[in-house]
Amino acid sequence: MSYAYLFKYIIIGDTGVGKSCLLLQFTDKRFQPVHDLTIGVEFGARMITIDSKQIKLQIWDTAGQEAFRSITRSYYRGAAGALLVYDITRRETFNHLTTWLDDARQHSNSNMVIMLIGNKSDLESRREVKKEEGEAFAREHGLVFMETSAKTAANVEEAFINTAKEIYEKIQEGVFDINNEANGIKIGPQHSPTNPSLPGAGGSSGSQGSGCC
Amino acid sequence: METSDSECFESADEDFFSDNEADRKEEKSCENIPQIEKLQNLNINEGQGKPNVIKESIDDRQARKEFVGDVTICSEEVNEAKEVTKNKQVKNLDLKSKLDTENKNILEDNTVCNSNDNKSTSIHNSNSNVITQKHEQKHMLDCDKNKNKVEHEDIKSIHTINVEESSPKDHSVKQLHQIKEEITCKETKITDTKVDTLMWENDGWDFDDNDIKDDKCETTDCSTSNTDSTNTFETEGIDTQNLNQPLVSQQVKSDNQKQTIDVEEENMWDNDDDWEPIEETNKQPESSKTENQSKSPTESKSTSDSWSSWGNWGVSSILTSATQGVSTLTSHVSQGLNTIVDTSLGIPDPQELARLHKREKEELEAKIRENSTELQHEVENSNTGTLGFGLGNLGNLVSGVSNLTKLVETTGSKVISGGLDTLETIGKKTMEVLQEGDPGLKKKRQFLKLEQEKPILSQVLREAKEKAEQENRSLQQKHIVKKKNYETLFDDHHGLVHLEALEMLSRQCDFKLKTLMENCDDDKSLMDLQETMDQVKELCELPDEDDEEQATMEDIKEKLQSAIKELNIKISYDKLLLTWEETETWLNTVNLKICDENELHQQAIETLAQLTAIAVEQFHKAGELLLIKEHHSTADEADSLVQLTTTLTSLIGIVAGKFSDKLNVKASGKSNGEDINGLITNVFFEAANSSSYIQDAFQLLIPVLQVGAV
Repeated sequence: MSYAYLFKYIIIGDTGVGKSCLLLQFTDKRFQPVHDLTIGVEFGARMITIDSKQIKLQIWDTAGQEAFRSITRSYYRGAAGALLVYDITRRETFNHLTTWLDDARQHSNSNMVIMLIGNKSDLESRREVKKEEGEAFAREHGLVFMETSAKTAANVEEAFINTAKEIYEKIQEGVFDINNEANGIKIGPQHSPTNPSLPGAGGSSGSQGSGCC
Repeated sequence: METSDSECFESADEDFFSDNEADRKEEKSCENIPQIEKLQNLNINEGQGKPNVIKESIDDRQARKEFVGDVTICSEEVNEAKEVTKNKQVKNLDLKSKLDTENKNILEDNTVCNSNDNKSTSIHNSNSNVITQKHEQKHMLDCDKNKNKVEHEDIKSIHTINVEESSPKDHSVKQLHQIKEEITCKETKITDTKVDTLMWENDGWDFDDNDIKDDKCETTDCSTSNTDSTNTFETEGIDTQNLNQPLVSQQVKSDNQKQTIDVEEENMWDNDDDWEPIEETNKQPESSKTENQSKSPTESKSTSDSWSSWGNWGVSSILTSATQGVSTLTSHVSQGLNTIVDTSLGIPDPQELARLHKREKEELEAKIRENSTELQHEVENSNTGTLGFGLGNLGNLVSGVSNLTKLVETTGSKVISGGLDTLETIGKKTMEVLQEGDPGLKKKRQFLKLEQEKPILSQVLREAKEKAEQENRSLQQKHIVKKKNYETLFDDHHGLVHLEALEMLSRQCDFKLKTLMENCDDDKSLMDLQETMDQVKELCELPDEDDEEQATMEDIKEKLQSAIKELNIKISYDKLLLTWEETETWLNTVNLKICDENELHQQAIETLAQLTAIAVEQFHKAGELLLIKEHHSTADEADSLVQLTTTLTSLIGIVAGKFSDKLNVKASGKSNGEDINGLITNVFFEAANSSSYIQDAFQLLIPVLQVGAV
């Protein structure tokens, strides 16, 4: 419940790559093979611990449909982290990455940590995009890369948490101004803004595993 | 003549710096904290920004100069000096505001002559605690040793370098910069007067190597004799004497560069103790100095050709006093401004300050009256050209001049502080008038669009939530039953984040509309656009709360469905209705004998928060879907949204009513009826909040509808 920081994430990528499934797996630890098309944006939240600090991840799961593009763009603002997802079994979702990346860079702050995710790694037989290609793209654009499977939960946790770690490091380095909410970081209620290095409420219950409904 | 010139400037420099020294000390008396130092920098600039005041004092000084011009013997020199003074006034003001970051280099390039030694020494005296400065001094001495020329060009370049860029962080660094700055001032002065700055070697002051040792001894003697002389000239600048003494000794030293720095530093340290009275310093430095010179063993040692230089004392003195004047004025300006700042912090009382000024002035006036008679007398004497008399007279003359300077300075600072007081009063009055009938200037700010028209709701809610959580924690510590507050529950159901997203959407639409209006070429299309937008707004006006008819769940369901149908988008209130049904069931089955009133209250809050969150979420979805909808019938959309809003708020009312009924049952026949009444009030309070959140969410949809309409 009480947290030191709140990070805003956005999940972006073509429709059907498994964005909502990734979120569901992360927040609820379950997989839903048939998922309704996301309208606009949906939300998820979960508490994680980094460096013995409680951090709340508030995840904005955007609609991948082209029709919602103009709407979802307005949600990019103020995100600290972004998960850019493609489907390893569909080449075109990989090909669209540049467009998504340009969009994200244009509508969010420059310090936003972007994690490139090749989802559906469980479907190895239908793979169309090699892991090396994903790695190369990430290297070229300065992203973090990971292949995940929302179905088997492989690397899902890591994808979200590693992004948070990256953001956290940026905070420690002073890259992110935590007092500026446009950076997608909010300081927890008990957290003194003047002393950001102080660990969050030491004796807090910490029983809150998932803040998601 | 060259010799005398150089000498005269030598002494001018001494005075200038002794005076600067005094200024610095004054600063110190205002508590030598870095903050004030910083302020000073700023103040100087501000002082420049007050041309009137400064100009006034400059005029004063010019008048004084003219007076001096009448009086002085060597009219030619005086004219020259006048020019120099004028130059300096401007230059010094200039330079004061500029700090030279690259002075070090320049120092190495320029000859600073012996005079620089004196200067640095005197400066170091005041800051003898700063070890780094000592190093710096040594360095400067080294540099001086090797140079014979003043390079005019280099000095000029100094002017262009801006202080503010350097903004020293460290206190001692800052002081160093000041020293450098002062050095620069002096260099400029030397150059401006076009006097060949000659090394002491050319002055006929050369000593045999044998003399060096003697000089050392004498140097030490000087400081001792000075202390004695201090007693003799009680009314005069005691401190200046002490100041000058090491300078004299330095003159000796500069002839013999190889002499150790240690000795002079030793002297400085000795003199340090006598530095306390600051105010006196400015009063009659020249006269005391003259005395000093005559007493100084070094002087007496000098050969007869050095006597001719006494004729030029007038020039140097005028130069000196002018320099002094400018520097003191600057310090006064900064002082005055400092005081204003201090006053606002409640440190010294401005009245007290004014009193001080007055007393100072009175004292000075008395002195000046005394001196001016003397002066007149002396002027006549000096006109006779008797060398011996001239020396003494001039000393007095100079003291008179310096008195005048002081008077001008005090008046100047008074004018400044008085002016600032007035400004303060004007400012206060202005604020009063502005705030009349508009506390906090809210209306005016709104008028000027300085503030957003209304606070961001999600922000307010988030803050409320955080505050409540904090309170909860403290309660938890006291082992009181933990209760989730409304805002937290609202957030748990993603109401807050949906509201935030809706706000973003709304802002985006607003922005789109504004761009559209800006791009309207002709007035007609702009009018049309404005008209459409106004129409949409009118359509979205919520009806006044109608009579609280107890609507059933069926009624509400029906109303919601018809509204959604009219809206023609894929949103559903199934979740909301489900929640409502569950609550209804819970309420019907709840055993009031078991159920605690707190539990009942908690359930009420939970339900309200959940329903509101769902309502907001659906509004958010409606906004998104309306934006991507291809064919719009804005009137219908607005109508159905109004319908939705009223239905949802009435639902909230019903829920609150049902819970309060239960609580009322609990309250009757119980001793803690008061507590339960408090809970009931809270339920209604949160219900009212819920309704207003829903209505606010609806308001956020207006721009969305407008975008659809245009």
